[in-house]
Amino acid sequence: MEDLVANRGPAPTKEEAAPKPFTPEDEVALREALKRCSPATVEAAVTYRRIRDTAQLPTIVIGVIERYVESELRPKLREGDDELRLVEDLGVDSLTMMEIVMLVEETIQVQTNNDELRGLRTVGDVKTFIDCKVKGLPIPKPAKFIPLEQIASVMPVQPPFLFVSEAQVGAHSAQGKYKLTGQEFFLQGHFKNNPILPASIMLEALGQLAVLFLIEGSLGEEGKAVDSSKIFFTSCEGVRCHRMCRPGDVLTLFVKPKRVKSPFATFEGSIRVGQEKAAVVEEMTLAFAYAEAVAQPAAVADAPASVAPVLKSSSETAAPPLAAAVRA
Amino acid sequence: MPKVYVTGLGFITSIGNDRAEVTRSLREMRHGMVVYPPFQRPDLPVKVAAPVRGFSVESTDPEDWTFPAGYRIKREVLRGLGPNSLYAYCAMIQAIADAKLSEQEISNQQTGLYAASAGSPGLLYRLLTQMHAQGVMRCPPLGIVAAIAGTVQFNLVAHFKIKGASTGFSSACASSSHAMGFAYDEISLGRQSRMFVVGAEDGNYETIAPFAGMRALSLSTDPDKASRPFDIARDGFVGTGGGVVLVLESEDEVARRGVTPYCEVAGWGQASDGHNVAISHPEGDGLRRAMELALKCSKQEAADIDYVNAHATSTPIGDVSEVKALRAVLGPRAAQTAVSSTKALTGHGLSLAGAMESAFCALAIKDGFMPGSAHITRVDPECEGIHILRTTSDVQPHVVLNNSSGFGGANVCVVLRRA
Repeated sequence: MEDLVANRGPAPTKEEAAPKPFTPEDEVALREALKRCSPATVEAAVTYRRIRDTAQLPTIVIGVIERYVESELRPKLREGDDELRLVEDLGVDSLTMMEIVMLVEETIQVQTNNDELRGLRTVGDVKTFIDCKVKGLPIPKPAKFIPLEQIASVMPVQPPFLFVSEAQVGAHSAQGKYKLTGQEFFLQGHFKNNPILPASIMLEALGQLAVLFLIEGSLGEEGKAVDSSKIFFTSCEGVRCHRMCRPGDVLTLFVKPKRVKSPFATFEGSIRVGQEKAAVVEEMTLAFAYAEAVAQPAAVADAPASVAPVLKSSSETAAPPLAAAVRA
Repeated sequence: MPKVYVTGLGFITSIGNDRAEVTRSLREMRHGMVVYPPFQRPDLPVKVAAPVRGFSVESTDPEDWTFPAGYRIKREVLRGLGPNSLYAYCAMIQAIADAKLSEQEISNQQTGLYAASAGSPGLLYRLLTQMHAQGVMRCPPLGIVAAIAGTVQFNLVAHFKIKGASTGFSSACASSSHAMGFAYDEISLGRQSRMFVVGAEDGNYETIAPFAGMRALSLSTDPDKASRPFDIARDGFVGTGGGVVLVLESEDEVARRGVTPYCEVAGWGQASDGHNVAISHPEGDGLRRAMELALKCSKQEAADIDYVNAHATSTPIGDVSEVKALRAVLGPRAAQTAVSSTKALTGHGLSLAGAMESAFCALAIKDGFMPGSAHITRVDPECEGIHILRTTSDVQPHVVLNNSSGFGGANVCVVLRRA
């Protein structure tokens, strides 16, 4: 979770981080506001307010979400999966989302507006959002949804060897789905009278999602697009399969870049079926190359939303001083 | 026109939180009044109220509330409720079980819900105070849903997945009788085959105390006789809250489901005084016409009426107006027709009153009794010629009137008949 607070640009300077003192009355009010949260959450919040220790933020955010989630769903949150979806997995509706954000705002003294909340889909999104808010950094664009037709039009691989049928590509990760219909050609022989998705195809599916991330996501190198014809598999480490996948299963694919530095991009990845873990890959590395033609900044605007303006906008829009985000 | 029957009841009231306890209280004339702690302050001369028992809803945060074991209410439901909706929610659960309704029978296009409540003024006050103090964006997102006058139907319709007709009625103390009457219409016109009728009120400091300013509340400090309709020494009403639900069904549904109804809703009538915003017509003009229209609608004669559950709230003017209206309607039968006001036991539930008292009448018809009018030491001579029932009778009434009157001179009379 620490990576959430890392690599997001410079830390706020001294004059920005000048919170008003945390009085004993403030502490009483804070403890009262958080009275239904776990003790760990309350202590993390008190620590945060005393010394502005941003390492406490994930605990605070998870603690506040947990307080609003029905008790039978809380164990899911404790598993620490940032990909846990607020609506589908935790039963959080938009009103509850508002309650969560209001309590987080009150706890860590930031203010948000409605537009900023719309893109928050997962627990990780909320953590990232709050982290950016506190540091006065621009909020990453919400993951963009990419339907099958668009995937097929941009990907170098094509059916019947395309194993991503829809995807959400965000600034820092990508998620995709693939439904095993039973009609796949390789199931006829794998195995005889016992169709099971080959582990090699699981890796292929994750690799394809990583390719999509490289093509559609943002690598943070301004003005450069990845050449989709020059992405190739290089290596894979720490692969573990936990569950066999059979016809009818819907695979949820997930990849997250660990290191991206031309010419290599290394991802971690996982596959779930429902809430069950199907496979985990510690490291998968792809080789890639930037397309030459789009090195001109002017061409970037023409590229169909392929470069998310995360870092670009940070240079355009000066990061608001933290003081501006803190309620007077 | 299909007949309409009462097939289920649910009660959260000052005299009981289930049918058995309410029936016992009515039969034994046990009242629900107490010296009410929130009223024990020097600026309020009123000391007695009839609060609901077994609930704690004082906190601004619904998650602090407690309610009787057996009701499990999720946080996402609770956050939109005022105390009135909480009571109504619990009464709804009882009524559904009592009527033996399945989920499909509750949630379909032929099943609707009409409710009555004055909203939750205490919650609204706190919400607006918070808004002024902390800013608009720091208010609970569902504060407005919990506080305004439609809160009871908003919540119940959503949480019980009602798909038919739904709305709320706002005619003060006649509200839930209006809900009852229009629900009857929905079924008898063939638009719906089943209707939930809900009356609910917070019954707390903010809903009751403003009536002290009108000088409408009893100043008695004795819970045992503060509410005494028709008594010569009556000095105002005692406030109460709670939630009551009635299930009304068409005769076809009753036959199809094979359930035994409490009674038939035979008809209703309404008429307005056109007189004063808060004071009843001195001759009970609107209420008389409401009763006459209700009898006409239900094809009954005045001579058929066995029992009248009077609106009589224990105010000096209101009770006499009603007596005059009754005298005019009942004519020579006035000395035989039993009249009582169960507000002597429950207190006055405002928007809750009509539904609560119709439900009492349904119990009386089903179980064969007529509840007495409690706490009368000496009958007001103005009531001469009216048979005020002073103790509970074990005679089963066949035709019963339930009267309600509200601000603005709105009057409603509902006729219930043995099934």
